[in-house]
Amino acid sequence: MASVWISGAGMTPFGRRTQSLPDLMADAARAALTASGIEVPDAIVVATMNPEEFLGEGNFASRIATHLGFAYVPAIRVETATSSGAAAIFAGFTAVASGTARAVLVVGGERMTHLPTPRVSEIIGRSIDPYERSYGATMPALAGLITRALMARSGLSAREISQVAVKNHANAVRNPYAHFRAPVALAAVMASRLVADPLRLFHCCPISDGAAALVLTASRAAVRIAGIGQGTDALAVRHRQELTSFRATQAAAKAAFAMAGFGADRVEVAEVHDAFTPFELIALEDTGLFPPGAAGRATLDGETALDGRLPVNPSGGLKARGHPLGATGIAQVVELVWQLTGQAADRQVSAHVGLAQSIGGLATNNFVTLVEAA
Amino acid sequence: MPPPVIDQIQGSRCPQCGTAVVPPARFCPWHPVAMAPVSLTGLGEIVTFTTLHSPPEGFRSPLHIALVELQGGARLVCHGEATRGIRIGSRVAIEAVDRVYYFAHLGALDRARLFWRRAGRRGERLEAIARSWAKRLWKGRGRDTGE
Ligand SMILES: [Zn+2]
Repeated sequence: MASVWISGAGMTPFGRRTQSLPDLMADAARAALTASGIEVPDAIVVATMNPEEFLGEGNFASRIATHLGFAYVPAIRVETATSSGAAAIFAGFTAVASGTARAVLVVGGERMTHLPTPRVSEIIGRSIDPYERSYGATMPALAGLITRALMARSGLSAREISQVAVKNHANAVRNPYAHFRAPVALAAVMASRLVADPLRLFHCCPISDGAAALVLTASRAAVRIAGIGQGTDALAVRHRQELTSFRATQAAAKAAFAMAGFGADRVEVAEVHDAFTPFELIALEDTGLFPPGAAGRATLDGETALDGRLPVNPSGGLKARGHPLGATGIAQVVELVWQLTGQAADRQVSAHVGLAQSIGGLATNNFVTLVEAA
Repeated sequence: MPPPVIDQIQGSRCPQCGTAVVPPARFCPWHPVAMAPVSLTGLGEIVTFTTLHSPPEGFRSPLHIALVELQGGARLVCHGEATRGIRIGSRVAIEAVDRVYYFAHLGALDRARLFWRRAGRRGERLEAIARSWAKRLWKGRGRDTGE
């Protein structure tokens, strides 16, 4: 299998944006292409979760290719719910690794803030098992069920879950691309209103607009995709063997590390899917970055802070950088590329190997990507 | 035959691995094997629960949702009147009202009734009384709208 390099990375600021999704994607794509020095890619992979319902637009691969002035470049769209961006990287990776393409533009984004919150929740909720949805189960509801089981099983406290939000907001203060650029205090997180008991408002990520892009090439660049893996689980949460860890992350991590030929001990920075703050702690244990039951304490002790032993979500994560669905999995890797190449400005950490973990749906279709500085 | 005192829940079971699911599914989630219909007793344990404070349109707020594991092994999502006194591991009875499942806490008295139910007909009668009371409570108190 040929090596796959990341020769360009770019994104738009996340948050409430007035531009159209094609324009946001164009800004991210232009930034990544400029950084890569590639004028025209061989192929385009577009990631967006649900432009049909958010925007009333379909055939989105052609929509974006044409908008970018690449009407003659073959384009496909990839969708795995909230991990669509990571799935697009996976598709681009396989194209380059197989020799099908030498330069692939991977671009993802979502535009949601123009719709009322209940409507956005309803559209995101389409990724939940229909029977569970018929009982009013939303993403926060399912996350609430998992969080209660997790707290009962591991003894995780509300303090540990809340500290994740405090840390990620503190990181986002230093990130000009982040949705939220204000710090939050632990007491404020713990006193925020209950959304899905025991989850509170400040444990949940916001609704954001934005786009992110990468250029993957067969020609050598500063960062290499060392490993990438996909893992899956039953759509229905009630069918899961385990509620308090995600089989889909564990399988994805196992595949990614097997491809990379190294272990979790080599990882020096991580971007994980903290759509709900307890999910960051689950991710750190599922990927093997922390032993089972250790992530909460480590977070309280500052081990995952920007100046800690293993900085986690230096971008601010989904919690504070924001979560424009189709953009998210790509934005995680954009951040890692910037961190590995010394372009992370005020939030720069020292790292040669980074891990990104992305969750699709309620952990039904997850990806882990390992990147390494050349 | 006395009337059944505990609701029977319709599900399906995998002939290969024994996995039971509710509602019935065509294939086992873990094997491409056709599942067989199975009837499960509506008694189980709370696996986890939450209270949703901003439920989707068509549901009352706050909305109590629990994940319950039935004695037959299948898990189901159901609604409840309240979560006060409910803990992970609490024993509950599942009632189907208008094809929607609800959990009700099995207090000490109810557990005694179940014991008597197993022991003889007197308990069955008591349980039937409790059950019809629960049904009356639920009627008209379910969701604001239908599906
Ligand atoms: Zn089976």
